[in-house]
Amino acid sequence: MTELGPQASTQVLAREMGLDQQNVERRKRIVDLTSEDIARIATLRDVVADHVDEFTGVFFDYLVSLDEGRALFANRTVTERARALKRDHLLAMVEGRYDTEYAIKRLELALLYSKYELDLRVFLAAFHHLLKRIGQSVMRRGESAPLEAFEAFMSLKKVAFLDIGIVVDAIVFERERVIRTQQDAIRELSTPVLQIRERLLLLPIIGVIDTHRARLITESLLKAIRANRAKVVVMDITGVATIDSKVANHLIQTVTAAKLMGASVIVTGLSADVAQSLVALGIDLAKLNTVGDLQGGMEEAEALLGYRVTLTGERVAGASPLVG
Amino acid sequence: MPVPILKQGDVLIASIQAALSDRDLVEFRDDVATRVGSLRARGLIIDVTALDVLDSFATRTLRGIAYTAKLRGANTVVVGIQPDVAFAMVELGLSLEGIATALDLEEGLALLSQRSGQRGGRS
Amino acid sequence: MAAEVKISIESELDIVTARQKGRELAAGLGFSGTDQTLLATAISEVARNIVSYAGRGEIVFTSLNEDGRPGIMVVAQDQGPGISNVEQAMRDGYSTGNSLGVGLPGTRRLVDDFALASTPGVGTTVTLKKWRR
Repeated sequence: MTELGPQASTQVLAREMGLDQQNVERRKRIVDLTSEDIARIATLRDVVADHVDEFTGVFFDYLVSLDEGRALFANRTVTERARALKRDHLLAMVEGRYDTEYAIKRLELALLYSKYELDLRVFLAAFHHLLKRIGQSVMRRGESAPLEAFEAFMSLKKVAFLDIGIVVDAIVFERERVIRTQQDAIRELSTPVLQIRERLLLLPIIGVIDTHRARLITESLLKAIRANRAKVVVMDITGVATIDSKVANHLIQTVTAAKLMGASVIVTGLSADVAQSLVALGIDLAKLNTVGDLQGGMEEAEALLGYRVTLTGERVAGASPLVG
Repeated sequence: MPVPILKQGDVLIASIQAALSDRDLVEFRDDVATRVGSLRARGLIIDVTALDVLDSFATRTLRGIAYTAKLRGANTVVVGIQPDVAFAMVELGLSLEGIATALDLEEGLALLSQRSGQRGGRS
Repeated sequence: MAAEVKISIESELDIVTARQKGRELAAGLGFSGTDQTLLATAISEVARNIVSYAGRGEIVFTSLNEDGRPGIMVVAQDQGPGISNVEQAMRDGYSTGNSLGVGLPGTRRLVDDFALASTPGVGTTVTLKKWRR
Protein backbone atom coordinates (compact mmCIF):
# COMPACT_ATOMS: atom_id res chain seq x y z
CA MET A 1 0.00 0.00 0.00
CA THR A 2 1.37 3.40 -0.91
CA GLU A 3 2.18 5.70 1.96
CA LEU A 4 -0.18 8.61 2.29
CA GLY A 5 1.00 12.00 3.44
CA PRO A 6 0.16 12.92 7.04
CA GLN A 7 -2.82 15.04 6.10
CA ALA A 8 -4.36 12.37 3.91
CA SER A 9 -3.76 9.63 6.50
CA THR A 10 -5.54 11.52 9.24
CA GLN A 11 -8.48 12.22 6.94
CA VAL A 12 -8.74 8.53 6.05
CA LEU A 13 -8.45 7.45 9.67
CA ALA A 14 -10.98 10.06 10.79
CA ARG A 15 -13.48 8.82 8.25
CA GLU A 16 -12.94 5.17 9.10
CA MET A 17 -13.19 5.84 12.83
CA GLY A 18 -16.30 7.87 12.32
CA LEU A 19 -14.68 11.00 13.72
CA ASP A 20 -17.13 13.41 12.16
CA GLN A 21 -18.89 16.48 13.48
CA GLN A 22 -21.56 14.48 15.24
CA ASN A 23 -18.96 12.30 16.91
CA VAL A 24 -16.87 15.24 18.07
CA GLU A 25 -19.92 16.98 19.52
CA ARG A 26 -20.75 13.80 21.39
CA ARG A 27 -17.22 13.60 22.78
CA LYS A 28 -17.43 17.20 23.98
CA ARG A 29 -20.72 16.39 25.60
CA ILE A 30 -19.19 13.38 27.34
CA VAL A 31 -16.40 15.44 28.92
CA ASP A 32 -18.99 18.15 29.58
CA LEU A 33 -17.05 20.89 27.83
CA THR A 34 -19.15 24.05 28.14
CA SER A 35 -18.78 27.59 26.87
CA GLU A 36 -17.83 28.65 30.41
CA ASP A 37 -14.98 26.19 30.26
CA ILE A 38 -13.84 27.64 26.95
CA ALA A 39 -13.93 31.16 28.36
CA ARG A 40 -11.86 30.08 31.36
CA ILE A 41 -9.36 28.28 29.16
CA ALA A 42 -8.83 31.50 27.21
CA THR A 43 -7.31 33.03 30.35
CA LEU A 44 -4.57 30.39 30.18
CA ARG A 45 -3.34 31.34 26.72
CA ASP A 46 -0.51 33.47 27.98
CA VAL A 47 0.87 31.07 30.53
CA VAL A 48 0.84 28.21 28.00
CA ALA A 49 2.38 30.31 25.21
CA ASP A 50 5.12 31.47 27.58
CA HIS A 51 5.99 27.98 28.74
CA VAL A 52 5.15 25.88 25.68
CA ASP A 53 8.70 24.67 25.05
CA GLU A 54 9.19 23.79 28.71
CA PHE A 55 5.92 21.85 28.72
CA THR A 56 6.83 20.00 25.53
CA GLY A 57 10.18 19.11 27.10
CA VAL A 58 8.52 17.74 30.23
CA PHE A 59 6.37 15.38 28.19
CA PHE A 60 9.25 13.99 26.19
CA ASP A 61 11.66 13.81 29.08
CA TYR A 62 9.16 11.63 30.87
CA LEU A 63 8.80 9.38 27.83
CA VAL A 64 12.54 8.89 27.44
CA SER A 65 12.94 8.16 31.15
CA LEU A 66 11.05 4.89 30.74
CA ASP A 67 12.11 1.91 28.64
CA GLU A 68 8.62 1.53 27.27
CA GLY A 69 8.65 5.12 26.09
CA ARG A 70 11.79 5.06 23.97
CA ALA A 71 10.04 4.00 20.78
CA LEU A 72 9.72 7.54 19.48
CA PHE A 73 13.39 8.27 19.98
CA ALA A 74 14.82 5.72 17.60
CA ASN A 75 14.97 8.21 14.79
CA ARG A 76 15.88 11.89 14.97
CA THR A 77 13.34 12.94 12.32
CA VAL A 78 10.55 11.13 14.08
CA THR A 79 11.44 12.64 17.44
CA GLU A 80 11.54 16.13 16.02
CA ARG A 81 8.24 15.64 14.27
CA ALA A 82 6.65 14.32 17.46
CA ARG A 83 7.96 17.29 19.42
CA ALA A 84 6.68 19.77 16.86
CA LEU A 85 3.25 18.16 16.85
CA LYS A 86 3.13 18.16 20.66
CA ARG A 87 4.04 21.81 20.73
CA ASP A 88 1.28 22.61 18.28
CA HIS A 89 -1.10 20.54 20.33
CA LEU A 90 -0.40 22.49 23.52
CA LEU A 91 -1.00 25.79 21.78
CA ALA A 92 -4.15 24.47 20.14
CA MET A 93 -5.48 23.23 23.48
CA VAL A 94 -5.88 26.80 24.70
CA GLU A 95 -6.85 28.22 21.33
CA GLY A 96 -10.55 27.81 22.10
CA ARG A 97 -11.64 26.03 18.91
CA TYR A 98 -12.54 22.39 19.46
CA ASP A 99 -14.18 21.39 16.22
CA THR A 100 -13.77 18.48 13.81
CA GLU A 101 -10.59 19.98 12.43
CA TYR A 102 -9.10 20.15 15.92
CA ALA A 103 -10.02 16.52 16.54
CA ILE A 104 -8.59 15.33 13.26
CA LYS A 105 -5.34 17.19 13.91
CA ARG A 106 -4.91 15.12 17.08
CA LEU A 107 -4.78 12.02 14.90
CA GLU A 108 -1.37 12.94 13.51
CA LEU A 109 0.32 12.26 16.82
CA ALA A 110 -1.92 9.26 17.39
CA LEU A 111 -0.78 7.73 14.12
CA LEU A 112 2.81 8.38 15.08
CA TYR A 113 2.35 6.74 18.47
CA SER A 114 0.62 3.85 16.78
CA LYS A 115 3.29 3.44 14.13
CA TYR A 116 6.07 3.33 16.68
CA GLU A 117 3.99 1.30 19.09
CA LEU A 118 4.24 3.71 21.95
CA ASP A 119 3.09 1.98 25.12
CA LEU A 120 -0.29 3.45 26.07
CA ARG A 121 0.47 3.32 29.79
CA VAL A 122 3.55 5.42 29.22
CA PHE A 123 1.65 7.87 27.03
CA LEU A 124 -0.96 8.35 29.76
CA ALA A 125 1.67 8.73 32.46
CA ALA A 126 3.65 11.26 30.43
CA PHE A 127 0.48 13.19 29.69
CA HIS A 128 -0.37 13.25 33.37
CA HIS A 129 3.10 14.50 34.18
CA LEU A 130 2.68 17.24 31.62
CA LEU A 131 -0.67 18.26 33.04
CA LYS A 132 0.86 18.43 36.49
CA ARG A 133 3.52 20.85 35.28
CA ILE A 134 0.93 22.95 33.47
CA GLY A 135 -1.12 23.01 36.66
CA GLN A 136 1.85 24.21 38.70
CA SER A 137 2.54 27.02 36.22
CA VAL A 138 -1.12 28.01 36.13
CA MET A 139 -1.34 28.19 39.92
CA ARG A 140 1.87 30.16 40.19
CA ARG A 141 0.69 32.64 37.54
CA GLY A 142 -2.73 32.95 39.13
CA GLU A 143 -1.45 33.28 42.72
CA SER A 144 -3.57 36.35 43.36
CA ALA A 145 -6.79 34.55 42.38
CA PRO A 146 -6.19 30.89 43.13
CA LEU A 147 -9.80 29.75 42.85
CA GLU A 148 -10.12 31.16 39.34
CA ALA A 149 -6.80 29.63 38.37
CA PHE A 150 -7.88 26.26 39.68
CA GLU A 151 -11.22 26.44 37.82
CA ALA A 152 -9.42 27.39 34.61
CA PHE A 153 -7.05 24.48 34.99
CA MET A 154 -9.94 22.07 35.60
CA SER A 155 -11.58 23.35 32.42
CA LEU A 156 -8.37 22.74 30.53
CA LYS A 157 -8.30 19.19 31.87
CA LYS A 158 -11.62 18.55 30.16
CA VAL A 159 -9.96 19.31 26.84
CA ALA A 160 -7.05 17.11 27.85
CA PHE A 161 -9.43 14.23 28.41
CA LEU A 162 -11.17 14.97 25.15
CA ASP A 163 -7.81 14.66 23.41
CA ILE A 164 -6.78 11.53 25.30
CA GLY A 165 -10.07 9.92 24.31
CA ILE A 166 -9.41 10.63 20.65
CA VAL A 167 -5.79 9.45 20.74
CA VAL A 168 -6.57 6.24 22.62
CA ASP A 169 -9.51 5.42 20.33
CA ALA A 170 -7.28 5.98 17.31
CA ILE A 171 -4.52 3.75 18.64
CA VAL A 172 -6.98 0.99 19.47
CA PHE A 173 -8.58 1.34 16.05
CA GLU A 174 -5.23 0.97 14.37
CA ARG A 175 -4.46 -2.10 16.45
CA GLU A 176 -7.76 -3.60 15.45
CA ARG A 177 -6.94 -2.88 11.83
CA VAL A 178 -4.00 -5.23 12.13
CA ILE A 179 -6.25 -7.86 13.64
CA ARG A 180 -8.77 -7.38 10.84
CA THR A 181 -6.05 -7.89 8.25
CA GLN A 182 -5.01 -11.09 9.97
CA GLN A 183 -8.59 -12.28 10.08
CA ASP A 184 -8.91 -11.64 6.37
CA ALA A 185 -5.81 -13.72 5.78
CA ILE A 186 -7.26 -16.54 7.85
CA ARG A 187 -10.50 -16.37 5.94
CA GLU A 188 -8.59 -16.56 2.67
CA LEU A 189 -6.82 -19.68 3.83
CA SER A 190 -10.05 -21.31 4.89
CA THR A 191 -11.70 -20.82 1.52
CA PRO A 192 -9.03 -22.01 -0.83
CA VAL A 193 -9.64 -22.24 -4.52
CA LEU A 194 -7.01 -24.36 -6.20
CA GLN A 195 -6.10 -24.36 -9.84
CA ILE A 196 -5.68 -27.98 -10.81
CA ARG A 197 -5.19 -27.58 -14.52
CA GLU A 198 -5.59 -24.89 -17.03
CA ARG A 199 -9.20 -23.69 -16.87
CA LEU A 200 -10.01 -26.14 -14.05
CA LEU A 201 -10.49 -25.15 -10.44
CA LEU A 202 -10.96 -27.29 -7.37
CA LEU A 203 -12.95 -25.88 -4.49
CA PRO A 204 -12.84 -28.18 -1.46
CA ILE A 205 -15.33 -27.03 1.13
CA ILE A 206 -14.74 -28.16 4.66
CA GLY A 207 -16.56 -27.48 7.88
CA VAL A 208 -19.60 -25.46 8.77
CA ILE A 209 -21.21 -23.33 6.12
CA ASP A 210 -23.22 -20.40 7.37
CA THR A 211 -24.49 -17.51 5.27
CA HIS A 212 -21.41 -15.44 5.91
CA ARG A 213 -18.97 -18.19 4.97
CA ALA A 214 -21.03 -19.16 1.95
CA ARG A 215 -20.75 -15.61 0.68
CA LEU A 216 -17.00 -15.59 1.21
CA ILE A 217 -16.64 -18.85 -0.63
CA THR A 218 -18.72 -17.59 -3.54
CA GLU A 219 -16.77 -14.35 -3.70
CA SER A 220 -13.42 -16.17 -3.70
CA LEU A 221 -14.59 -18.60 -6.31
CA LEU A 222 -15.88 -15.92 -8.68
CA LYS A 223 -12.66 -13.94 -8.42
CA ALA A 224 -10.68 -17.11 -9.06
CA ILE A 225 -12.78 -17.91 -12.11
CA ARG A 226 -11.89 -14.55 -13.58
CA ALA A 227 -8.23 -14.74 -12.60
CA ASN A 228 -7.76 -18.27 -13.95
CA ARG A 229 -10.25 -18.02 -16.79
CA ALA A 230 -11.71 -21.21 -15.45
CA LYS A 231 -14.31 -23.10 -17.42
CA VAL A 232 -14.92 -25.91 -14.97
CA VAL A 233 -15.03 -25.97 -11.20
CA VAL A 234 -15.06 -29.12 -9.12
CA MET A 235 -16.75 -28.24 -5.84
CA ASP A 236 -16.16 -30.98 -3.31
CA ILE A 237 -18.50 -30.98 -0.34
CA THR A 238 -17.39 -34.22 1.29
CA GLY A 239 -16.09 -32.28 4.24
CA VAL A 240 -19.11 -30.10 4.82
CA ALA A 241 -20.42 -30.68 8.33
CA THR A 242 -24.16 -30.46 7.86
CA ILE A 243 -25.99 -30.11 4.61
CA ASP A 244 -29.45 -28.83 5.31
CA SER A 245 -31.73 -26.92 2.99
CA LYS A 246 -30.06 -23.61 3.84
CA VAL A 247 -26.62 -24.90 2.99
CA ALA A 248 -27.94 -26.54 -0.15
CA ASN A 249 -29.42 -23.25 -1.26
CA HIS A 250 -26.11 -21.51 -0.64
CA LEU A 251 -24.36 -24.09 -2.78
CA ILE A 252 -26.91 -23.73 -5.55
CA GLN A 253 -26.36 -19.97 -5.46
CA THR A 254 -22.63 -20.47 -5.78
CA VAL A 255 -23.18 -22.71 -8.77
CA THR A 256 -25.56 -20.22 -10.39
CA ALA A 257 -23.13 -17.37 -9.91
CA ALA A 258 -20.27 -19.39 -11.42
CA LYS A 259 -22.48 -20.16 -14.39
CA LEU A 260 -23.08 -16.45 -14.98
CA MET A 261 -19.34 -16.18 -15.47
CA GLY A 262 -19.36 -19.03 -17.94
CA ALA A 263 -18.00 -21.71 -15.63
CA SER A 264 -19.76 -25.00 -15.07
CA VAL A 265 -19.61 -26.58 -11.64
CA ILE A 266 -19.38 -30.27 -10.83
CA VAL A 267 -20.42 -31.03 -7.28
CA THR A 268 -18.76 -34.03 -5.70
CA GLY A 269 -19.13 -35.62 -2.32
CA LEU A 270 -22.88 -35.40 -2.08
CA SER A 271 -23.94 -38.71 -0.61
CA ALA A 272 -27.07 -40.41 -1.84
CA ASP A 273 -28.67 -40.12 1.61
CA VAL A 274 -28.13 -36.41 1.83
CA ALA A 275 -29.32 -35.97 -1.74
CA GLN A 276 -32.51 -37.86 -0.93
CA SER A 277 -33.29 -35.80 2.14
CA LEU A 278 -32.67 -32.58 0.25
CA VAL A 279 -35.03 -33.61 -2.51
CA ALA A 280 -37.57 -34.53 0.14
CA LEU A 281 -37.21 -30.99 1.51
CA GLY A 282 -38.11 -29.66 -1.89
CA ILE A 283 -34.67 -28.59 -3.00
CA ASP A 284 -34.34 -28.80 -6.74
CA LEU A 285 -31.05 -30.57 -7.24
CA ALA A 286 -31.54 -30.77 -10.97
CA LYS A 287 -29.62 -27.54 -11.29
CA LEU A 288 -26.57 -29.26 -9.89
CA ASN A 289 -24.27 -31.53 -11.84
CA THR A 290 -23.39 -34.01 -9.16
CA VAL A 291 -20.89 -36.83 -9.29
CA GLY A 292 -20.38 -39.28 -6.45
CA ASP A 293 -16.78 -38.84 -5.50
CA LEU A 294 -13.94 -36.44 -6.09
CA GLN A 295 -12.08 -38.78 -8.39
CA GLY A 296 -15.09 -39.19 -10.60
CA GLY A 297 -15.69 -35.47 -10.54
CA MET A 298 -12.15 -34.70 -11.65
CA GLU A 299 -12.44 -37.17 -14.49
CA GLU A 300 -15.70 -35.65 -15.61
CA ALA A 301 -14.15 -32.20 -15.43
CA GLU A 302 -11.21 -33.23 -17.54
CA ALA A 303 -13.52 -34.82 -20.06
CA LEU A 304 -15.50 -31.58 -20.25
CA LEU A 305 -12.33 -29.69 -20.94
CA GLY A 306 -11.38 -32.08 -23.67
CA TYR A 307 -8.55 -33.90 -21.95
CA ARG A 308 -8.09 -37.53 -22.87
CA VAL A 309 -6.30 -40.13 -20.80
CA THR A 310 -3.80 -42.04 -22.93
CA LEU A 311 -2.75 -45.65 -22.41
CA THR A 312 0.20 -44.66 -20.27
CA GLY A 313 -2.11 -42.73 -17.97
CA GLU A 314 -0.95 -39.44 -19.39
CA ARG A 315 -3.55 -36.75 -19.66
CA VAL A 316 -3.51 -35.03 -22.98
CA ALA A 317 -5.51 -32.07 -24.14
CA GLY A 318 -7.60 -33.33 -27.03
CA ALA A 319 -9.34 -31.72 -29.90
CA SER A 320 -12.78 -32.62 -28.68
CA PRO A 321 -14.74 -29.53 -27.79
CA LEU A 322 -16.47 -28.72 -24.55
CA VAL A 323 -19.80 -30.45 -24.51
CA GLY A 324 -22.83 -28.33 -23.55
CA MET B 1 -26.02 6.85 -27.10
CA PRO B 2 -26.34 3.84 -29.38
CA VAL B 3 -24.59 0.59 -28.59
CA PRO B 4 -21.93 -0.17 -31.21
CA ILE B 5 -22.60 -3.48 -32.94
CA LEU B 6 -19.80 -5.10 -34.91
CA LYS B 7 -19.98 -8.04 -37.24
CA GLN B 8 -17.49 -10.89 -37.15
CA GLY B 9 -18.37 -13.66 -39.55
CA ASP B 10 -21.97 -14.48 -38.84
CA VAL B 11 -21.76 -13.21 -35.28
CA LEU B 12 -22.80 -9.79 -34.07
CA ILE B 13 -20.84 -8.35 -31.19
CA ALA B 14 -22.39 -5.64 -29.06
CA SER B 15 -20.32 -4.00 -26.34
CA ILE B 16 -22.26 -2.12 -23.73
CA GLN B 17 -20.00 0.65 -22.52
CA ALA B 18 -22.02 2.14 -19.71
CA ALA B 19 -25.40 1.92 -18.05
CA LEU B 20 -27.95 2.54 -20.76
CA SER B 21 -31.08 4.63 -20.48
CA ASP B 22 -34.39 2.96 -21.18
CA ARG B 23 -34.51 4.64 -24.56
CA ASP B 24 -31.03 3.43 -25.45
CA LEU B 25 -32.03 -0.09 -24.50
CA VAL B 26 -35.11 0.03 -26.71
CA GLU B 27 -32.99 1.32 -29.56
CA PHE B 28 -30.46 -1.40 -28.95
CA ARG B 29 -33.11 -4.09 -29.01
CA ASP B 30 -34.56 -2.77 -32.25
CA ASP B 31 -31.08 -2.48 -33.73
CA VAL B 32 -30.39 -6.10 -32.87
CA ALA B 33 -33.67 -7.20 -34.40
CA THR B 34 -32.92 -5.37 -37.63
CA ARG B 35 -29.31 -6.44 -37.97
CA VAL B 36 -29.79 -10.08 -37.09
CA GLY B 37 -32.33 -10.23 -39.82
CA SER B 38 -30.57 -8.22 -42.49
CA LEU B 39 -27.10 -9.63 -41.85
CA ARG B 40 -28.35 -13.17 -41.33
CA ALA B 41 -26.43 -13.40 -38.10
CA ARG B 42 -26.44 -16.77 -36.32
CA GLY B 43 -24.98 -15.48 -33.11
CA LEU B 44 -25.11 -12.41 -30.91
CA ILE B 45 -22.62 -11.59 -28.20
CA ILE B 46 -23.56 -8.99 -25.63
CA ASP B 47 -20.51 -7.85 -23.72
CA VAL B 48 -21.38 -6.41 -20.33
CA THR B 49 -17.82 -6.19 -18.98
CA ALA B 50 -18.21 -2.45 -18.41
CA LEU B 51 -21.42 -2.70 -16.43
CA ASP B 52 -20.94 -2.34 -12.71
CA VAL B 53 -24.54 -3.23 -11.88
CA LEU B 54 -27.00 -5.65 -13.43
CA ASP B 55 -30.32 -5.14 -11.73
CA SER B 56 -33.68 -6.84 -12.31
CA PHE B 57 -34.59 -4.39 -15.04
CA ALA B 58 -31.33 -4.88 -16.93
CA THR B 59 -31.66 -8.65 -16.62
CA ARG B 60 -35.21 -8.59 -17.94
CA THR B 61 -34.05 -6.46 -20.82
CA LEU B 62 -31.20 -8.82 -21.68
CA ARG B 63 -33.66 -11.69 -21.71
CA GLY B 64 -35.90 -9.68 -24.03
CA ILE B 65 -33.06 -8.96 -26.42
CA ALA B 66 -31.98 -12.59 -26.46
CA TYR B 67 -35.54 -13.59 -27.22
CA THR B 68 -35.75 -11.07 -30.04
CA ALA B 69 -32.51 -12.37 -31.50
CA LYS B 70 -33.70 -15.95 -31.21
CA LEU B 71 -36.88 -15.15 -33.09
CA ARG B 72 -34.70 -14.07 -35.94
CA GLY B 73 -32.45 -17.08 -35.80
CA ALA B 74 -29.51 -16.01 -33.66
CA ASN B 75 -28.24 -17.48 -30.40
CA THR B 76 -27.18 -15.04 -27.74
CA VAL B 77 -24.27 -15.32 -25.35
CA VAL B 78 -23.84 -12.76 -22.60
CA VAL B 79 -20.20 -12.31 -21.69
CA GLY B 80 -18.19 -10.33 -19.20
CA ILE B 81 -20.33 -10.47 -16.09
CA GLN B 82 -17.91 -9.40 -13.37
CA PRO B 83 -17.51 -11.39 -10.12
CA ASP B 84 -19.22 -8.91 -7.84
CA VAL B 85 -21.98 -8.32 -10.37
CA ALA B 86 -22.62 -12.07 -10.63
CA PHE B 87 -22.64 -12.24 -6.86
CA ALA B 88 -25.16 -9.41 -6.53
CA MET B 89 -27.36 -11.02 -9.18
CA VAL B 90 -27.66 -14.32 -7.37
CA GLU B 91 -28.21 -12.58 -4.04
CA LEU B 92 -31.01 -10.63 -5.67
CA GLY B 93 -32.40 -13.86 -7.07
CA LEU B 94 -31.95 -12.97 -10.71
CA SER B 95 -31.32 -15.59 -13.30
CA LEU B 96 -30.26 -15.46 -16.89
CA GLU B 97 -31.73 -18.89 -17.31
CA GLY B 98 -32.14 -19.70 -20.93
CA ILE B 99 -29.34 -17.44 -22.05
CA ALA B 100 -25.86 -18.79 -22.46
CA THR B 101 -23.09 -17.01 -20.62
CA ALA B 102 -19.35 -17.03 -21.03
CA LEU B 103 -16.39 -15.43 -19.34
CA ASP B 104 -15.42 -13.04 -22.10
CA LEU B 105 -15.59 -12.29 -25.80
CA GLU B 106 -13.13 -15.02 -26.72
CA GLU B 107 -15.02 -17.66 -24.78
CA GLY B 108 -18.31 -16.39 -26.11
CA LEU B 109 -17.18 -16.73 -29.71
CA ALA B 110 -15.84 -20.22 -28.99
CA LEU B 111 -19.15 -21.22 -27.47
CA LEU B 112 -21.10 -19.94 -30.44
CA SER B 113 -18.89 -21.68 -32.99
CA GLN B 114 -19.19 -24.90 -31.01
CA ARG B 115 -22.93 -24.65 -31.05
CA SER B 116 -23.12 -23.98 -34.77
CA GLY B 117 -20.50 -26.71 -35.33
CA GLN B 118 -22.73 -29.14 -33.47
CA ARG B 119 -25.71 -28.03 -35.45
CA GLY B 120 -23.75 -28.43 -38.70
CA GLY B 121 -22.58 -31.86 -37.56
CA ARG B 122 -26.08 -33.10 -37.11
CA SER B 123 -27.39 -32.10 -40.49
CA MET C 1 -18.90 13.54 3.57
CA ALA C 2 -21.74 15.77 4.56
CA ALA C 3 -24.21 14.11 6.86
CA GLU C 4 -26.91 13.88 4.19
CA VAL C 5 -26.88 13.67 0.43
CA LYS C 6 -30.15 13.93 -1.46
CA ILE C 7 -30.80 12.72 -4.99
CA SER C 8 -34.04 13.63 -6.67
CA ILE C 9 -35.58 10.83 -8.69
CA GLU C 10 -37.53 12.37 -11.51
CA SER C 11 -36.81 9.99 -14.35
CA GLU C 12 -35.14 6.71 -15.07
CA LEU C 13 -31.93 8.59 -15.82
CA ASP C 14 -31.66 9.40 -12.12
CA ILE C 15 -31.50 5.72 -11.24
CA VAL C 16 -27.93 5.49 -12.46
CA THR C 17 -27.03 8.79 -10.76
CA ALA C 18 -28.39 7.55 -7.46
CA ARG C 19 -26.63 4.21 -7.54
CA GLN C 20 -23.35 5.73 -8.63
CA LYS C 21 -23.58 8.20 -5.78
CA GLY C 22 -24.25 5.35 -3.39
CA ARG C 23 -21.24 3.48 -4.71
CA GLU C 24 -19.07 6.56 -4.38
CA LEU C 25 -20.14 7.19 -0.79
CA ALA C 26 -19.66 3.55 0.16
CA ALA C 27 -16.22 3.54 -1.43
CA GLY C 28 -15.32 6.60 0.60
CA LEU C 29 -16.28 4.76 3.76
CA GLY C 30 -14.01 1.86 2.87
CA PHE C 31 -16.61 -0.64 1.71
CA SER C 32 -15.24 -3.56 -0.34
CA GLY C 33 -15.88 -3.64 -4.07
CA THR C 34 -18.37 -6.44 -3.65
CA ASP C 35 -20.32 -4.59 -0.96
CA GLN C 36 -20.29 -1.46 -3.09
CA THR C 37 -21.91 -3.42 -5.90
CA LEU C 38 -24.48 -4.98 -3.59
CA LEU C 39 -25.43 -1.55 -2.33
CA ALA C 40 -25.50 -0.01 -5.81
CA THR C 41 -27.74 -2.85 -7.00
CA ALA C 42 -30.11 -2.37 -4.07
CA ILE C 43 -30.29 1.35 -4.80
CA SER C 44 -30.97 0.59 -8.44
CA GLU C 45 -33.90 -1.61 -7.44
CA VAL C 46 -35.54 0.87 -5.07
CA ALA C 47 -34.95 3.77 -7.42
CA ARG C 48 -36.48 1.81 -10.27
CA ASN C 49 -39.52 1.11 -8.10
CA ILE C 50 -39.93 4.82 -7.46
CA VAL C 51 -39.84 5.55 -11.18
CA SER C 52 -42.13 2.68 -12.10
CA TYR C 53 -44.76 3.11 -9.42
CA ALA C 54 -44.65 6.68 -8.24
CA GLY C 55 -43.11 8.54 -11.12
CA ARG C 56 -40.93 10.58 -8.85
CA GLY C 57 -39.43 10.63 -5.39
CA GLU C 58 -36.12 11.08 -3.65
CA ILE C 59 -33.27 9.11 -2.23
CA VAL C 60 -31.37 10.35 0.80
CA PHE C 61 -27.96 9.02 1.83
CA THR C 62 -26.72 9.34 5.39
CA SER C 63 -23.44 8.10 6.80
CA LEU C 64 -23.70 6.06 9.95
CA ASN C 65 -21.28 5.09 12.65
CA GLU C 66 -21.74 2.42 15.26
CA ASP C 67 -18.83 2.02 17.68
CA GLY C 68 -16.37 3.08 15.06
CA ARG C 69 -17.88 0.90 12.36
CA PRO C 70 -19.00 2.98 9.41
CA GLY C 71 -22.21 2.35 7.56
CA ILE C 72 -24.55 3.96 5.12
CA MET C 73 -28.29 4.50 5.26
CA VAL C 74 -30.37 4.90 2.13
CA VAL C 75 -33.92 6.19 2.41
CA ALA C 76 -35.98 5.92 -0.77
CA GLN C 77 -39.18 7.87 -0.50
CA ASP C 78 -42.06 8.59 -2.83
CA GLN C 79 -45.63 9.86 -2.74
CA GLY C 80 -46.90 7.19 -5.05
CA PRO C 81 -49.83 4.79 -4.85
CA GLY C 82 -48.23 2.73 -2.08
CA ILE C 83 -48.28 -1.01 -1.53
CA SER C 84 -51.52 -2.36 -0.16
CA ASN C 85 -50.16 -5.61 1.20
CA VAL C 86 -46.60 -5.12 2.38
CA GLU C 87 -46.33 -8.59 3.86
CA GLN C 88 -47.28 -10.19 0.61
CA ALA C 89 -44.91 -8.03 -1.38
CA MET C 90 -42.05 -9.08 0.87
CA ARG C 91 -42.64 -12.76 0.36
CA ASP C 92 -40.15 -14.32 -1.99
CA GLY C 93 -41.59 -15.28 -5.31
CA TYR C 94 -44.50 -12.89 -5.13
CA SER C 95 -44.88 -10.86 -8.27
CA THR C 96 -47.50 -8.43 -9.51
CA GLY C 97 -46.31 -9.16 -12.98
CA ASN C 98 -44.19 -6.07 -13.05
CA SER C 99 -41.48 -7.99 -11.28
CA LEU C 100 -41.86 -6.03 -8.04
CA GLY C 101 -41.63 -9.41 -6.45
CA VAL C 102 -38.05 -10.01 -7.43
CA GLY C 103 -37.24 -6.51 -6.28
CA LEU C 104 -38.20 -6.33 -2.61
CA PRO C 105 -37.30 -9.64 -0.95
CA GLY C 106 -34.22 -9.88 -3.13
CA THR C 107 -33.22 -6.32 -2.30
CA ARG C 108 -33.42 -7.16 1.36
CA ARG C 109 -30.73 -9.81 0.90
CA LEU C 110 -28.35 -7.25 -0.53
CA VAL C 111 -28.27 -5.11 2.60
CA ASP C 112 -28.00 -5.55 6.35
CA ASP C 113 -31.11 -3.74 7.51
CA PHE C 114 -34.28 -3.28 5.51
CA ALA C 115 -37.50 -1.52 6.46
CA LEU C 116 -40.53 -0.86 4.31
CA ALA C 117 -43.36 1.46 5.22
CA SER C 118 -46.19 2.09 2.83
CA THR C 119 -49.67 3.57 2.93
CA PRO C 120 -51.92 3.12 -0.09
CA GLY C 121 -52.69 6.45 -1.66
CA VAL C 122 -50.03 8.21 0.39
CA GLY C 123 -46.64 6.82 -0.46
CA THR C 124 -43.81 4.43 0.26
CA THR C 125 -40.57 4.67 2.21
CA VAL C 126 -37.87 2.06 1.95
CA THR C 127 -34.98 2.30 4.41
CA LEU C 128 -31.79 0.36 3.72
CA LYS C 129 -28.73 0.14 5.92
CA LYS C 130 -25.43 -1.46 5.08
CA TRP C 131 -22.39 -1.70 7.32
CA ARG C 132 -18.80 -1.99 6.33
CA ARG C 133 -17.39 -5.43 7.10
